[in-house]
Amino acid sequence: MTLEKPANPRDVTDSPEETAWLERTWHSPGGLLGWFTHVNQRMIGKRFIITAFIFFLLAGILGILIRLQLAGPEQQLLGPELYNQFFTMHGTVMMFFFAIPVMEGFAIYFVPLMIGTRDMAFPRLNAFGYYVYLIGGIVLFGSLLLSMAPNAGWFNYVPLSSKLYSPGYGVDIWTTMITFIEVSALTAAVELIVTTLRMRAPGMSLNRMPLFVWAALVMSFMIVFAMPAVIVSSTLLILDRLVETQFFIVEGGGEPLLWQHLFWYFGHPEVYIILVPALGMISTIIITFTRRPIYGYTALVLSVVAIGFVSFGLWVHHMFTTGLPQLGMSFFTAASATIAIPSGVQIFCWIASLWGAKIRFATPMLWVLGFFAIFVIGGLTGVMVASIPFDTQVHDTFFLVAHFHYVLIGGAVFPLIGATYYWWPKITGRMMSEAAGKWSFWLAFIGFNVTFFPMHQLGLEGMPRRIYTYVEEMGWGDLNLLATIGSLVLATGFGVTLINAIWSVFRGQRAEPNPWGAPTLEWAADSPPASYNFRHIPVVHSRWPLWDWERDRERAVVTGLRNDRREVVLTSILDAKPVGVQVLPAPTIWPFVSAVAASLGFIGIIFHPIFFAIAFFLVAFTLVAWFWPRRPWRND
Amino acid sequence: MKVVQGIDVSDMTRFNPDQRAPLWWGILGLIAIESAVVLTFCVSYLYLAAYAEAWPPSGESAPPMLWPSINLGLLMLSSLTMFLAGQAINRGNQRGLAIGVTASVLLASAVLVLRSLELMAYEFSWKDHAYGSIVWTISGFHYVHVTSIVFGSAVVAILAWRGYFTQQRQIGVVVDTNYWYFVCFAWIPFYLLLYWGPRVYGQ
Repeated sequence: MTLEKPANPRDVTDSPEETAWLERTWHSPGGLLGWFTHVNQRMIGKRFIITAFIFFLLAGILGILIRLQLAGPEQQLLGPELYNQFFTMHGTVMMFFFAIPVMEGFAIYFVPLMIGTRDMAFPRLNAFGYYVYLIGGIVLFGSLLLSMAPNAGWFNYVPLSSKLYSPGYGVDIWTTMITFIEVSALTAAVELIVTTLRMRAPGMSLNRMPLFVWAALVMSFMIVFAMPAVIVSSTLLILDRLVETQFFIVEGGGEPLLWQHLFWYFGHPEVYIILVPALGMISTIIITFTRRPIYGYTALVLSVVAIGFVSFGLWVHHMFTTGLPQLGMSFFTAASATIAIPSGVQIFCWIASLWGAKIRFATPMLWVLGFFAIFVIGGLTGVMVASIPFDTQVHDTFFLVAHFHYVLIGGAVFPLIGATYYWWPKITGRMMSEAAGKWSFWLAFIGFNVTFFPMHQLGLEGMPRRIYTYVEEMGWGDLNLLATIGSLVLATGFGVTLINAIWSVFRGQRAEPNPWGAPTLEWAADSPPASYNFRHIPVVHSRWPLWDWERDRERAVVTGLRNDRREVVLTSILDAKPVGVQVLPAPTIWPFVSAVAASLGFIGIIFHPIFFAIAFFLVAFTLVAWFWPRRPWRND
Repeated sequence: MKVVQGIDVSDMTRFNPDQRAPLWWGILGLIAIESAVVLTFCVSYLYLAAYAEAWPPSGESAPPMLWPSINLGLLMLSSLTMFLAGQAINRGNQRGLAIGVTASVLLASAVLVLRSLELMAYEFSWKDHAYGSIVWTISGFHYVHVTSIVFGSAVVAILAWRGYFTQQRQIGVVVDTNYWYFVCFAWIPFYLLLYWGPRVYGQ
């Protein structure tokens, strides 16, 4: 649909009085108690991002300690038990408590801004999701300080993780907290889907949606269909451990491989859940720093959707060495190789977009170019391990460790840091230092390759993953030392960005609303945006609204939203025709109370099943309080 | 830059436009998530059955058919009363809504009582074998869901008796009804799997 411009456009003027009303309506209360009542999407998004980066730092420190332990043969820095806890926590925290939440955090913060609205569809649910994540993260990390952290690896295979071989609370905490924070991921996913489908600015039909929004949408659908599998598998495991069910216990007719199927049915899409939003970030950055429309918008969208679908058909390639039927093996090999096609389409579209463009090599763009180099290597080793004979050879060796760090750090963390530099002025109103950004990039890029490239060779030489040390005669010492040195350089690189970020909040150059000359709507808001995001909800006529406005020196907006309560426009799914107005709820403490009640149940069942019933009714009562209509009942 | 009026929304509805308010989509999202959970439970059941030597294990027999079938009927009936309640408030009939929702809550409460009696009479425990584990887990999963719709709809019924819902202000009813259908219809695959499955498959 193209929205007709009215024949006699009426000029819109803002009285400062009305703006002040709007400010008051969307204001988040101050004070410590007020902090727990915030529901605005930018508040929640920012919290997700900051909390996730703190977990990145903590899990990164664990990674460095692991590397120090492995730097030379027969070192005793950590010892076997602590080493097991550290690599388990490193993997678990990086995947569940950093990668997914940080991507969701960016999506929660930027999707509403990019589609031109004032908040998300269910603001209170958003807040609930954050507290669930925060409490889950604190409990899991707290277990490490109490020396009762899980130690059965991030995929927690049975029978190692069953009560017989892992007594103690570590695996219980892993299982309950993973289930718990999946709730947070799922609430964010539903939020993002509904917000994206129903609350886009009038005129922003699906084929005009920014590519990052597409990526966030695909990520959300993947979360909705992947996470239930891990919820079920960890529920079955916790039942095995707490009330003696027999799901994974062979003597009782259980099937340990069921765990692997369920876990990887989630675990493989998980990898792409992390990758897909990163792809959206890359497209966004490329558009801005080439300053022209991207090549192959439709192809890029379709390939992101295709990655979403195909990623659900790959899980068995984590299980090639478990002895599956021949036909199944062939199918999953083919599917694993198939994912290279949409990934390739993405890369070729980006190359075509960069070809002949005047590229500005600012920091965000550097991180994206770094992604290209690293991700292509990771993709190549991915095609290698998709082949069963090769996979059988390198299974559970450092070759795998090298492969997945190439795809995860290269595929997700590099674009993420690039996006952080890119969107930082929007979030904080200050620019980060370019010089420090470039130092940070080169240190991280070199450090990364020095750390992980030698691991390919170590794996081929037969070094297994998850061993806490090795003897000198194996001859793995030199490459391990090199990798450890590399990891320190890599950490320094990320450290420079951390210092740069903190420094810029106080000393950075103040940012204009649109410092990079980008075309998407988030740059139409102030830096940082006002509490209501947009003074007027914009009307959109193409994929590049800000470039249109620059050319036409005129922009159309929505009028008629009330200022004295939180109103946003609802639009139709495909064409974004305005169909009505939604009144959003104001700040409240109830999501926090609900999250505390729910966490009581999840933590409590580790000690006694009765907590399930207690928390069930507590949560039910808090939900009633949360939704109970306040008088006067609305009547318009 | 010149700012002009593109669209004016002052006269647009503030209630459930095009019958698909965000909350309608939200509950659909919850139903999609839970359907994936239901499916995963079914697949786990079939996986365990496929690799078992005998299903149910020798010496055990599948639980009796009569009471779960009656429960199926009651749940379907409660969906019908829920549907009629929704129809009533669509016509602005507040009393019809209140009666319909209350009837559904009572029917589902009856299901809970019957299920409790039935489960207590099971001859095997979840601790005995994987078969017992999955039957008890699926039963417990559905039981908890029936409990939650009874609780949630009781709240809706209270609000309905107090006249909160009107023809326009009824998104709460719509959402509750949709979730109610989901919980009732989720019983169908579980019923077929737990009670018909071993009888068809085991012979």
